[in-house]
Amino acid sequence: MRLRTDDDIYRARLVYLGPPGYTLPVHLPYAQYGLFILLVPLYMFIHWLFTLQVEFFPAWEIALAIVTTSFVFRYVDPDRPARMVIRTALTDWRRTREPAAEQRDPRLVGSGIRIREELA
Amino acid sequence: MSPSPTPGSPAGRPAAPRGHRARSFDYPQSGELDDATLDPALATTPGHGSVGVFQAPRPASRRAATAESAPVSPSTRDGADIDSPFLDLFGGAYARSASANRTNGPTRALPQQAGPAGPAPPARRPAPPAVPAQPVPASAASAGRRVDDAGTVVGPGAPPSFRVPSPPPAPTPVPASDRRPDAGPPAKAPDGTGARAAGIPARTAEPAARAATPPRQRSVDRRDRPVKPTRVRPPKIKFGDRDPAVELAITEIAGHLTFTPNTVTAWYWLPEVRWAFRPDAEREALLSAISEQYAGLAGFRLHLRRTTRPFPADEWARTIDANTAAPLPDVPGTTGWADHLVAAQRHLLSVNHAEGQTYLGVTFARRSLGDSLTERVLRTFGRGVAEGERRKLGRTVEQFDEVLGAFGMRGRRVTAQELEWLLYRSVALCMAPPGALSPITDGRWERGDLLALTEQVERYRTPYGSTVKLVNRMTGEERHVAVLAVGRMEPLEIPERHEPWLHFHERLPWPMELSTRVDILGSGDSFRNLEHRLRMIRSQQLDYAEHGIDAPPELERLAKRALVIGDEMTTGLPVDSARAHGWHRIAVGGRTREECLERARRLIQLYSRELRISLQHPKNQDWLAREFIPGEPIANTGYVRRMPVPLLAAALPQAASTVGDRRGDLIGRTAGTCRRPVFLDLHFPMEVRERSGLAVFVAEPGGGKSTLLGALGYLAARRGVQVTLLDPSGPLARLCAMPELRPYSRVLNLTGSEHGTLAPYSLIPTPLRSEFVAGAAGDREFEIAVSNARAERRMLVQDICMMLVPPQVAREASTATLFRHAVRQVPAEETSTLDDVVSCLGQLDDDAGRELANLLLDTAEMPLAMLFFGRPPDGLLGPDAALTVITMAGLRLPDLKIEREYWSAEESLALPMLHTAHRLAVRRCYGGSMSSRKLVGLDEAHFMEGWRSGRSFLVRLARDSRKWNLAALVASQNPRDILGLDVQNLVSTVFVGRIAEDEEIASEALRLLRVPVDDGYEATLATLSTADATSANRLGFREFVMRDVDGRVQKVRVDVSYVDGLLDHLDTTPAAVAAAAGVLPTVLPDMEA
Repeated sequence: MRLRTDDDIYRARLVYLGPPGYTLPVHLPYAQYGLFILLVPLYMFIHWLFTLQVEFFPAWEIALAIVTTSFVFRYVDPDRPARMVIRTALTDWRRTREPAAEQRDPRLVGSGIRIREELA
Repeated sequence: MSPSPTPGSPAGRPAAPRGHRARSFDYPQSGELDDATLDPALATTPGHGSVGVFQAPRPASRRAATAESAPVSPSTRDGADIDSPFLDLFGGAYARSASANRTNGPTRALPQQAGPAGPAPPARRPAPPAVPAQPVPASAASAGRRVDDAGTVVGPGAPPSFRVPSPPPAPTPVPASDRRPDAGPPAKAPDGTGARAAGIPARTAEPAARAATPPRQRSVDRRDRPVKPTRVRPPKIKFGDRDPAVELAITEIAGHLTFTPNTVTAWYWLPEVRWAFRPDAEREALLSAISEQYAGLAGFRLHLRRTTRPFPADEWARTIDANTAAPLPDVPGTTGWADHLVAAQRHLLSVNHAEGQTYLGVTFARRSLGDSLTERVLRTFGRGVAEGERRKLGRTVEQFDEVLGAFGMRGRRVTAQELEWLLYRSVALCMAPPGALSPITDGRWERGDLLALTEQVERYRTPYGSTVKLVNRMTGEERHVAVLAVGRMEPLEIPERHEPWLHFHERLPWPMELSTRVDILGSGDSFRNLEHRLRMIRSQQLDYAEHGIDAPPELERLAKRALVIGDEMTTGLPVDSARAHGWHRIAVGGRTREECLERARRLIQLYSRELRISLQHPKNQDWLAREFIPGEPIANTGYVRRMPVPLLAAALPQAASTVGDRRGDLIGRTAGTCRRPVFLDLHFPMEVRERSGLAVFVAEPGGGKSTLLGALGYLAARRGVQVTLLDPSGPLARLCAMPELRPYSRVLNLTGSEHGTLAPYSLIPTPLRSEFVAGAAGDREFEIAVSNARAERRMLVQDICMMLVPPQVAREASTATLFRHAVRQVPAEETSTLDDVVSCLGQLDDDAGRELANLLLDTAEMPLAMLFFGRPPDGLLGPDAALTVITMAGLRLPDLKIEREYWSAEESLALPMLHTAHRLAVRRCYGGSMSSRKLVGLDEAHFMEGWRSGRSFLVRLARDSRKWNLAALVASQNPRDILGLDVQNLVSTVFVGRIAEDEEIASEALRLLRVPVDDGYEATLATLSTADATSANRLGFREFVMRDVDGRVQKVRVDVSYVDGLLDHLDTTPAAVAAAAGVLPTVLPDMEA
């Protein structure tokens, strides 16, 4: 039996070409736009925390969001969704390489589990 | 962020170099894999396999502890390591020593390390360090068979010098002199679930306490005592504010169900299935049955877990010991029966065979808020999940029994204990499993004990780390675990070319764990999913068209493929449409981080080369490792694989390659897709399976037939079986020189024997009336047997006469007639002789008859032919010797390919001698009691072919083997002899060694094994025991394909190196034989570990 996965269908690269009638010079996956759109308000909020005012055209925020998005998507591929990359980055952000020190994770303890030999 | 430093290939890249074809059939010979065992870096942990008893991990360090503690306070009664809060309660002389202990002693445990096992403080009292040096109590030593401390079974009379001192099991009473009278309650904790768990720290608290000593405490230590360099000290533990322990998601185990606050999962045990050497049709049937079962679980989330259990060597030793009524009495100064068993167990443990265990969990119910709230409330009253909910679930879950219990997976419900075991193994991923508590009691864990042990497992992670470190605080064991995820997969041809893709890792010599979480989508869901994807692709194509850009060709290709799949889904069976979307992970463990990463790298390499699956090594290893625990959330959404259900079925993690029984001698291990020990008891077919005991060995010269025959003979003789080996060329006679066998063995050299030794009439025993049942039916059977014996004698005598006369004469028609006539005249009793036949021929008034008589008399003048004439000497082969080897030293065996006319006189005499010698070897077995175990090994059986009496001999042997409990091993160079004799239906065990020269012979050997011919397995036979052409050393092992009495076929690597000196005595190569003439070679052949 020749067996194969369906993964390639899900691996198709879906990109945003631009609005009808106008083709953007760069074709980026939809997900990048999504992340970008999430990041801009986030940076605006951080900016607001410092300055307590909202700019009409958030130029810095847009630039930062573009950079962040491209950074994130450098590690994204069909097998590694952006969600996972961001999550790894958030949990492990403190260092860029493996440090010598270890941190202890909570022990996973099963002694509280109740056991019955029979279901009913 | 940094580029990932994982050793794996990046996810987007193809898994394997292009054009590299996955090698297959079943056993691609890759020498590299076998190198793995020899590579010290990859050698599996010896401690991993120790099962017999829960013992402190490092006896050596314990001994060091004894030495250390002695000078600190030689006068204190119990060493300086006592750390008990109760010590404060006692004043006087002890108070001072106790307070000294408080400052000198290594630690006082932190409260968080005490664990919830109730009576912790008394349990922390360490075992007195002096006890390991104590001799075994006399009562235990004298009580017949006893059980060794190390978990190995020891028979009677083992010299103490052979026993390795090791810490005593818990129930060994502590000698009174060592017991401190006032040191709080005794180590034995009160009964209940926590009791045993608490009993463990009692024995191992000392290393554990040291390993877990927090840094703050250490500064206090440093004042008084130099820091011990041996201490296991994790570098800089960060104590965060987080709670150091988190409860697992599972809140309750009820029968085979597990409850988390939101879901309920039903667990099933999947037994192992045979994969290797099966016809492809059978394999396909199996896979399609399994995929139907998966398809039947559409809509549920599955958790497939495979974990391992070290081979229970002690259990095996107990079995074989129980099956051995009277082992060969020990010879002083040699390894006795007990030591023999201990050596075998050590060997088993050092090779580290792990048995796989496969569990399948079906998450089938979401719990309502009310249910989990009820549970929470009831838990406070100690009741757990409400009975109504459980009863309701009990009815729902029955559907899975039906689906999973059918042919295919044949799953059965797990027990609560098995679930506990699984949970423990998942929390302590890749760590040594807890052994049986004690070999003296039943050694079982009580309910909840294993789960309590999860308290001791600490987890450490590093940011962006590639491994997780797990430390067992109790034993000090440290494991580094890397979890790999199955990434991109290329198409696989599973039964034909590739092996099951989650069974494949088992060819590597260390145990690994698997976890697969999949959602099974039914036809509706999967079609909707696909349709959505198709629409996205189409819309992208439209987009390209609108913008006037050429769409990438892959879009069209993928859309077409999606259409085809969609078509299959809508029109095909549910099996075709069901899809499994999920995550597949493999956990690799190692003692150090480097070892773990090296193993992971090798695994990745193996998968990418042979299966074209790219295993990925993602970050966030701690979450991934947590995913192995039942009930825990999925680590991340990366590396989701979407596959049709048949591909998931073809993962087949439960495939295995067991062969042989589990009650016989250890003869080696399987060498195919995974490594399992092989045991063979040649009396198992007769005593248990009620089959014949005929075992056939086929191999080219040099394939290791004789060695295997000799080894089996030796091992059987050790077990007290009466063994007779016929070895015409004679090297097996050296077995009798082995010191442990020498008093019980004898060699019979036929070439120097007396007149009449091989007299054909007496070679066939007359049945005794006592062998048959009483009554008329028995009478009748007896008469038939007696006349059969007579007919057989006549046949044999005729054949012998024909062999003795020159072939030209034998070919004439009158010769046969005359012999038949003469033989008919002579009474076919045991007392008749060949001389009677000669005189009968001479009395015929026929020239031809007289001529024949003269011819026979002519041959009778040759010294060797004297054996056929006259009466046999009395007491030639009594049943007394445990091992008898019959040889024909100096006899030149003819080449059967050359016509008989061209044989020399000596060579032509060899033929009747071999025939009669075979009979003689078997004749001995008819002497003793019918039920006692007997074994006959016959080498060079191919000389039996082409003679009527030869076939009747083998048939009779096979028939009688059951009645007489006689295991018959027949070795031959050509399977055609056995097939030609048409006794293959009576053959129960087959060993086929290397057959490389002749394809035809190979396919006949396969027929003997009942393996499909022309499926490429001939090549497997040719590659058995292949020497490495680049190495100048001799091949240290021999491989066979073995079929056992239950029809399982496996490639087996014979390894009896654990028997000291056996291989030296069995070496049949010319150099070794020459050396053996003087002194046996002292260098062991380079045996495979």
